[in-house]
Amino acid sequence: MFPTFRLSMTWLHTWFGLVLGYVLIVVFFFGSLSVFDREIDRWAIPETRFAPQPMSSFDTMLAPIFARMTPEADELQAAAKRVRGPLPATLVPMNWGAYTTHRDPVLSLYAEYAVPNNPDDPDDHVHGHVTIDPRNGRLLPDDRLKIGSEFFYPMHYGLNLTWKDLGYWIVGFAALVMLAALVSGVVIHRRIFRELFTFRPRKHVQRSTLDLHNLTGVVALPFHFMFALTGLTVFASIYLPVSETLLKPQAMAAAMADAKAKGLPFKPAGVQAPLASVDAMVVEAKRRWAARGMPGEVGYLYVNHVGDRNSYVTLYRAGSDRVTLVGQPIHFEGTSGRVLLEEPPPSAVAGVNDFLTGLHLQHFEHWLLRWFYVFGGLSGCLCIATGFIFFVEKRKRQHAKAGTGGARWADAVAVATVTGMLVATLAILVANRLLPAEMAQRGDWEKASFWGAWVIAAVHALWRSAPVRDARLSPAWAEQCGAIAALAFAAVALNWITTGDHLVRTLGERFWPVAGLDLALLVAGAIAAMAAVALRRRAGVAVAETGAAAPDDAETANA
Amino acid sequence: MPKGLLLTLALLCSAGGIAWLALAMEVHWQQVRASAAGPDRRTAIGLRVLGGAALAVSFGVCLLADHVTMAVLVWVMSLAASALLVAQVLAWRPRWLAWLTTPWAERQSH
Repeated sequence: MFPTFRLSMTWLHTWFGLVLGYVLIVVFFFGSLSVFDREIDRWAIPETRFAPQPMSSFDTMLAPIFARMTPEADELQAAAKRVRGPLPATLVPMNWGAYTTHRDPVLSLYAEYAVPNNPDDPDDHVHGHVTIDPRNGRLLPDDRLKIGSEFFYPMHYGLNLTWKDLGYWIVGFAALVMLAALVSGVVIHRRIFRELFTFRPRKHVQRSTLDLHNLTGVVALPFHFMFALTGLTVFASIYLPVSETLLKPQAMAAAMADAKAKGLPFKPAGVQAPLASVDAMVVEAKRRWAARGMPGEVGYLYVNHVGDRNSYVTLYRAGSDRVTLVGQPIHFEGTSGRVLLEEPPPSAVAGVNDFLTGLHLQHFEHWLLRWFYVFGGLSGCLCIATGFIFFVEKRKRQHAKAGTGGARWADAVAVATVTGMLVATLAILVANRLLPAEMAQRGDWEKASFWGAWVIAAVHALWRSAPVRDARLSPAWAEQCGAIAALAFAAVALNWITTGDHLVRTLGERFWPVAGLDLALLVAGAIAAMAAVALRRRAGVAVAETGAAAPDDAETANA
Repeated sequence: MPKGLLLTLALLCSAGGIAWLALAMEVHWQQVRASAAGPDRRTAIGLRVLGGAALAVSFGVCLLADHVTMAVLVWVMSLAASALLVAQVLAWRPRWLAWLTTPWAERQSH
């Protein structure tokens, strides 16, 4: 098909990069924001702006709350359609879980309830969720959208497209293509070592854009590669669901054999029995972790077979000083509180898997590394955005001469994804501060403002794209940069007005979740404002130079 | 030593190491020294050794600061950030790196 390997790799990199780049930049950007998802939650839900708390006392605080919890109404409605006959008035809880991290002031609890009489699935169950203030056990309103962890984070791995899990599959395919784009990018880069540190901002746009594309792609190459790869391994069970489909009986048998070997009851006995003190188990678990040289707090508390004679409690250490995820679980017998099993260190394969998962999901306590992840993610965004601009720069004069619209469309979609995505992200933050506190379905309106702003930005990008047809710069870039600056400054001002938490106060109190987001918004706003000014100036220069032949060199011509 | 100080030291060593490795390349030496000639062979080797040593020290300090699994990630990411930083300084303010070439000021002048 192509005379040389390099040319075929160029084709692959160009076209797969362009098409999937529109998805990948979304994944990279919201992944970068997800590094600070809990902090964004604090900004979005002012009632939760207090310091992180350790796991609350189970015996005095959590047990009564768990006992009062009920299944989610929408899950019950769906379950009613799956069973023979009516659902019982109250469902029996099977398992309880409580989860927190070193960054969470609030504690989230969930419960699983058995759904009887489902002919297709004997293990059918529904869930209940609450979030509490661990300082006093007060339930927090659960209709508030956690913008960081419940909207930006799912955007990262599933684009918030939940229909038939389509989002997961699109992101998974994009990650696979990302790996191919990285490898082909290295192949087609002629001077990868000689130009490792090369950026020539004063050369023509096509050259300096390609320099920046190469620079941000190559210096963060280990990051890009590892994150695309570990992103795929984290969701391997979704992409290759063999243990849910083809090998389900074997997977079930393996889980039962594993539980038997460990002495953990796989099924409830069907005999009621009270639960011993879980707080005493927590004390014992912490003692054992400290004895292993890795003292820590409980990150995840799980009660299996609630209220049954076979109940057991599993305590996981919170991720803090290791890359590996929450771990070092210790299992306690529910009725007596004695230790059933202290899980041994994982096997080599499981250890590698835990490391790769932990590397991607970053539960650890290391602010520098967190910021490095943001840096890696944003350099990925820069790499993709400069890729779009290079694609358009390289073609727009030919297309203008030939009278075809390819470059114009590519540019308009690039505006819609690059700056349009930022407009949408800021719009949801502004809406979060502007919508009335007691509004019904407030979270849905916040999401609607995100999608609405993005649609408006996309329409604007298309509407303003005509100059690209004449090989000129689309004014949409500058205009949307202006909108980004205005929205970013507005979000900081609105946070001040509606909560009283201005930067002088939050910085004085060293309350970094809010101070950090406000500062990031100010920096983003300043950069966007400077970009808007620079783009306007450039548009003026470009008009004056129209018709001048663009300089070119071998690599920009071929890439 | 407190962890913050160790990590700062690791970052400085990483940035310095990357800068020295860049300076061993003809084009960047020319940018920084504003000279027409590149570094001679011995200078280039010296710069590479110094750069490599600084990166090794940086990794060692990362190991002192954190558990080994974490230290590897911090170090690799610090290399990436340093490379982008050095590239930007070389693009906009190359003379800022001139002091890193001080040990070779004499030999190159004649």
